[in-house]
Amino acid sequence: MIMDREPLVRFEHLTRRFGELAAVSDVSLDIRAGEVLALLGENGAGKSTLMKLLYGIHPPSAGRILLDGRESPIRGPADAMRNGIGMVFQHFSLLPALSVRDNLLAAWPATPAYIGRRSKRAARVLDRLSVIAPDIDPERRVDTLSVGEQQLVELCKVVNLEARVVILDEPTSVLTPAEAQRLYDFVLRLAAEGRAVVLITHKLADVEACADRIAVMRGGMLVADFAKGERTTAETVALMMGRPAATAEPAPDRFAGRPARLVLREITASAAGHVLKGISLEIAGGEVLGIAGVAGNGQTLLAEVVAGVEAPSGGDVLLDGESIARRGDEPHATPIGYIPEQPRDNAVVETMDLSANLRLRALAAGEADGAYDVAALIRRFNIAPSEPTRRAGTLSGGNLQKLVAARELGVPRPAVLACYPTMGLDLGAVGTVYEAMFAQAAAGAAVLWISEDLDDLLARAHRIAVMRGGAIVALVENDGTLTRDRLGAFMTGAPAEAAA
Amino acid sequence: METDLWILLAGWLVATLRSATPLLFVTLGETLTQRTGVINLGVEGEMLAGACFGFAVAVTTGSPWLGLAAGALAGGTLSLLHAGLVLGARANQIGSGIAVWMIALGTTSYVGRGFVGQKVTPLPQLVGPGAGDGLLGVLFRQLTAPAPLAFLAVVLAAWWLANTRAGLAWRVAGESARVAAENGLRPTWIRLQAIVLGGLLSGLGGAVLSVDYTQTWAQEITKGRGLIAVGLVIVARWRPILVLPVCLMFGLAEVAVLRVQAAGVEASSYLIATAPYAAVLIVLVVGHRSARRSRTMPADLRSIFS
Repeated sequence: MIMDREPLVRFEHLTRRFGELAAVSDVSLDIRAGEVLALLGENGAGKSTLMKLLYGIHPPSAGRILLDGRESPIRGPADAMRNGIGMVFQHFSLLPALSVRDNLLAAWPATPAYIGRRSKRAARVLDRLSVIAPDIDPERRVDTLSVGEQQLVELCKVVNLEARVVILDEPTSVLTPAEAQRLYDFVLRLAAEGRAVVLITHKLADVEACADRIAVMRGGMLVADFAKGERTTAETVALMMGRPAATAEPAPDRFAGRPARLVLREITASAAGHVLKGISLEIAGGEVLGIAGVAGNGQTLLAEVVAGVEAPSGGDVLLDGESIARRGDEPHATPIGYIPEQPRDNAVVETMDLSANLRLRALAAGEADGAYDVAALIRRFNIAPSEPTRRAGTLSGGNLQKLVAARELGVPRPAVLACYPTMGLDLGAVGTVYEAMFAQAAAGAAVLWISEDLDDLLARAHRIAVMRGGAIVALVENDGTLTRDRLGAFMTGAPAEAAA
Repeated sequence: METDLWILLAGWLVATLRSATPLLFVTLGETLTQRTGVINLGVEGEMLAGACFGFAVAVTTGSPWLGLAAGALAGGTLSLLHAGLVLGARANQIGSGIAVWMIALGTTSYVGRGFVGQKVTPLPQLVGPGAGDGLLGVLFRQLTAPAPLAFLAVVLAAWWLANTRAGLAWRVAGESARVAAENGLRPTWIRLQAIVLGGLLSGLGGAVLSVDYTQTWAQEITKGRGLIAVGLVIVARWRPILVLPVCLMFGLAEVAVLRVQAAGVEASSYLIATAPYAAVLIVLVVGHRSARRSRTMPADLRSIFS
């Protein structure tokens, strides 16, 4: 039924080359109104690049794009928006210093001349936001929101354009289970309104939840295009990876009785709208301690205090008995392996090449950089494109994440702090990162692992702490009896009897 | 007795207001320019041009009002040079601003030679002598139109920036020209408007200085006030409404210096004259420490230094 309709967008033999690299190679694909198309593939498969061709960010090297049956007039993002095509990127285009409301108003074509608080017409810009993210206060500055919340604002911005084609680039990689569910519902509603939705993803859960049709890309080529249900999950994974899926990496055995290596003592702090209220944790060498919680409950601030980016207002962070907390004005180089949130902004120098980025810590510490075998790290973490002289800024989000993981986990560390270390990674890369993280633990490092993926935490952490409202509300042994629901109850602050 | 106190208080207040008024216009203009992501060190030159041409027109026509208008126009015209260099030729903003300043310094020194020592017709007081002897009466009897006008301009600009679509467009351009363009705005056009508005306000500020405040022309009459305005923008954290207290504080410090000198304190007049600048510096340091976490600098301003 849907298949009979004239496609909104048609790609005909599209190719896009970056130098020698064919990021997209001879792709022909239709996008139809009222349909959710999942564009599935691993990092670097060319999914985002294909959609950026439609959005006008890159012109195609060969082939053509038809919009409503005519040659696409789109030459840039502004054109795309005028033609009813909206895209939510992994790397957002929100202005951090402005409020949520101002960000939405700036992108909204119907913004009235007077936008003050009393303007009823301006208030309508928030209609969609109140549906998809009712908890976000529109007057908050965007830089005080969690990544997940920012993505919902970005999505709201695109939907406000009344776009006919809504493209979402890895939307659920930064969302909690509850936020993801709300997103799925919203995507289905957009399709029911007659819009075309393209979901760029590497997660099968996204496909299961809301795709009508699945297009699989690998190595720049479209390898399959089929309706949901036509193939089994195993077949789909094999198409995507070109090989059978690897099994999950278990955590190393925990060595009981080891002394605490990383100690968080009564940490209090406040910055950018977040607070920490006396956080104490002790992580032994060889132990993996997971921190679960809905994004925006102080995890980012906690990570920045532990890593010495932010100074605590009280308490201390001790590594092997020595304080590593920030004092005074300048952040210092932390001795621990640190994978921060949003590596593009926080952990790489985009204008420097891969090799320099991998040796960045040696540079800061003034040591010999022999420990960082650049070629071996790139191979081990499968960073693509792999030339050490390539500028880091040209890498996809997933590959940047791998780059940071390679630098922070590729050499021995006394302790590791990983914030959402597998965000935006495909299945193969997830395995590599976990393997490296647990190898650090097996070698005696204390590992502090912040994640929103409860299944991963339950499968791999030795103990799990739950953060809510800037405090640790639960600290439990992951002894095999712990369940998702029990963690979920801690996260949302459900009554104790429900959690028990 | 009580009336004496009023007169003393009103005296300080009036002096502060009159000293701060030229600076209010310039700082407001520079704040608005910087909010769109452009820094204009040429305000010193634009202020100088406004002071010189404003004074010349006021003397020649006999109308101080025409003088003020001519000063604003002179500042606005000179700012077009900065706009052309920065937006058209993509010149370095710091270099371009200094060039504009130097050009104005030379030109006004040349044009202004004939006007040294000339007199202008002063602007009329806000109210006549029958306004009573209360604080307000004393105040308004000594004030001219530019002071309340400056207050009005600051409040209006602050409201406009926060509450209108056009104001939002300016803020967006200041945060990221790329995002502005993606949203269908024209950041270059916005910046041109902001530079010219900044030039008009700086020129007006200069004209208020020569025509209304000192009522004379002297070479380099602005004595770095334009550059001080650039510094005060930072102290005011790029918020138009904070321009008001910041400029008043500077004005008060300047008046205090004059009164201390008049009272015959035994100290170098050169050193005493640095007091307002030291006051600004202290506020800058204190304000910067407390505001370290709330980033208020327009993000695209940083690209100037890259």
